[in-house]
Amino acid sequence: MQAINFYKKFRPYSDYIVFGLVLSLAPLMVSIGVLRFAYLTIIAGVVIYAIVALGLNILMGYAGLVSLGTAGFMGVGAYLTAFFTTEIGMGFLPSILLTVAITSIMGIVVGLVSLRVQGFFLAMATLAISEILRQVFIEFSSFTNSFVGRRAGFPSFFALSLDRNQTFILLVAFLVLAMIVTRIITTSYTGRAMSAMSVVSGSEPAAAAMGINILRYKLIAFSIATAFAGLGGALYMHFIRFTIPTDWTFTLSLMFVAVVVIGGVRSVAGTVVGAFVVFGAPDLILANLPVIGDINGMPFVFTGLMIIVVILYYPAGLVYIWQDVKKFMQKRRGAAA
Amino acid sequence: MNIPLQIFLNSLDSGGRLALATMGIILIFRTSSAFNFAQGAISMFCAFIAASFLQATGMNVWVSSLVGVLGAVSIGIIVDRVVIKRTTKLHSVHKQIITLGLVMVFLGLAPMLFGSLNRLYPRFAQGSQTILNASITNGAIVNISIGISVMILLFYIIQKTKWGLGVRATASNDTVARMMGIPTTIITMGAWAVAAALGSLSAMMVAPDVQVQFAMMDSIQITALLACVLGGLGTFFGPVLAAYLIAMSRNFIAFYVSSVWADAIVYLLILAILMIAPNGIFGKKIIRKV
Repeated sequence: MQAINFYKKFRPYSDYIVFGLVLSLAPLMVSIGVLRFAYLTIIAGVVIYAIVALGLNILMGYAGLVSLGTAGFMGVGAYLTAFFTTEIGMGFLPSILLTVAITSIMGIVVGLVSLRVQGFFLAMATLAISEILRQVFIEFSSFTNSFVGRRAGFPSFFALSLDRNQTFILLVAFLVLAMIVTRIITTSYTGRAMSAMSVVSGSEPAAAAMGINILRYKLIAFSIATAFAGLGGALYMHFIRFTIPTDWTFTLSLMFVAVVVIGGVRSVAGTVVGAFVVFGAPDLILANLPVIGDINGMPFVFTGLMIIVVILYYPAGLVYIWQDVKKFMQKRRGAAA
Repeated sequence: MNIPLQIFLNSLDSGGRLALATMGIILIFRTSSAFNFAQGAISMFCAFIAASFLQATGMNVWVSSLVGVLGAVSIGIIVDRVVIKRTTKLHSVHKQIITLGLVMVFLGLAPMLFGSLNRLYPRFAQGSQTILNASITNGAIVNISIGISVMILLFYIIQKTKWGLGVRATASNDTVARMMGIPTTIITMGAWAVAAALGSLSAMMVAPDVQVQFAMMDSIQITALLACVLGGLGTFFGPVLAAYLIAMSRNFIAFYVSSVWADAIVYLLILAILMIAPNGIFGKKIIRKV
């Protein structure tokens, strides 16, 4: 009884931790044979992309600023950590910390652009920044190895080197951490200040008149989003262990916006659901179907149709399906009584 | 060798391709208030239609390009009727994510229907000319004339005809236009059809250089989006002029400064111009009541 009360007291944080514990059973399922070996990579991808999308959710949902440059910053994170660990010989943890610090400083620079350029123009300005970064990935080959690709190893710290399964659990731990941090930020003064100045949920002039420092919160929002993207990129690098410049395209940036919108703007759980739908479902579901699973290009069509259908019928986000189901059940119970 | 003129003529060619794609995007942006991220994917798909028609029948490039453009028109109409018609009440971010869904659909359909091999596509004309010491291929001359004449025709339609008035009215205020008896749904459908046709024309000009393949329109798509914001979203001519301007500066920078970093420098310049003129070169500041 006491345990349940304790659990309820710390919701939704305790939910996140339970979710993480369940997810970290996946490597065990693979070794038993319930899940296929390749699925672990797909689920790890979902976990990594969910971390990045959580940052974008803070930017889009709370601060009301759209970024189409997420993939570029993720790429920066990936290349930085590869450089730090393989060329300089840094450990995993300092490398991750340094990567996140550098990408969040880059976010502040983007934030400065957002003070002057707004709306659609800002989205396209971030796209331009991301394309510049991609050119750097291609041409600055002494650092990125260009199309040959850059390699890195599984993380190792405190004298232990992780294997694939342990790295997966580390990723899940980072996802849970990211969910908790997102929740803390969005429910704090910072989150409320961001909502107040957002174009969607508030008003910038009104917020400024109430004494909210617009400059400060725009810069904070961008630096959080790019820091999450940099963290995601670094984790990607240490799990997939290989990257080329074509990994960080405009389409990937758009997919992150899709994750946030499909899952539910301003919802932590929704973002994770969205990441599963956009990045996980096509490969996890389609690969099991006979005939259809073998057709080239089918996962793309499936993802595309799913994005279209979900947005047409659930524009508020998939996370609200649960509430609607609850309402429906209550109605039926009411009708029966 | 007259190098500046040579670069200028090349820029008219590449600028024309970019301007066609940009015009398609701004046309849809103005009538449906969303950037069409699927423009490039639809154009790529239509280039595949044209290329496979060419391979199958052996007809000349003009007939197959016409088939490609007709395919684009029908795809535009289908997309509008099936998907876009249902999105009128959605926020523009949602609409844009729907066009991302369309990107995925066309990227998936293309290998299913056409296989994953690259296809060759011939130029509109063979041979080359020398004008004032600058050499130019006949294909480029045809591209330049198609680009410029299509632009003049479109601007004539938009400015002088009744349908053009309808487009402008829909662009300025959809609801009021509908109240005034303008068939905005047909206008929007037409915009999607014309935009798809423009994009596919652009794709057929790009195809001889890079072959018909899945990523052929990616860089044009991104540059066209940037041209839209550089020219300002308030007019039709702004983005088109910006498209020519971008192509021009890209080619001159590639020759005189650095061929490797030309794209990055152009993007930086666009960013710098946006910092100075946040609503684009030809855009007006939107004044909002607080």
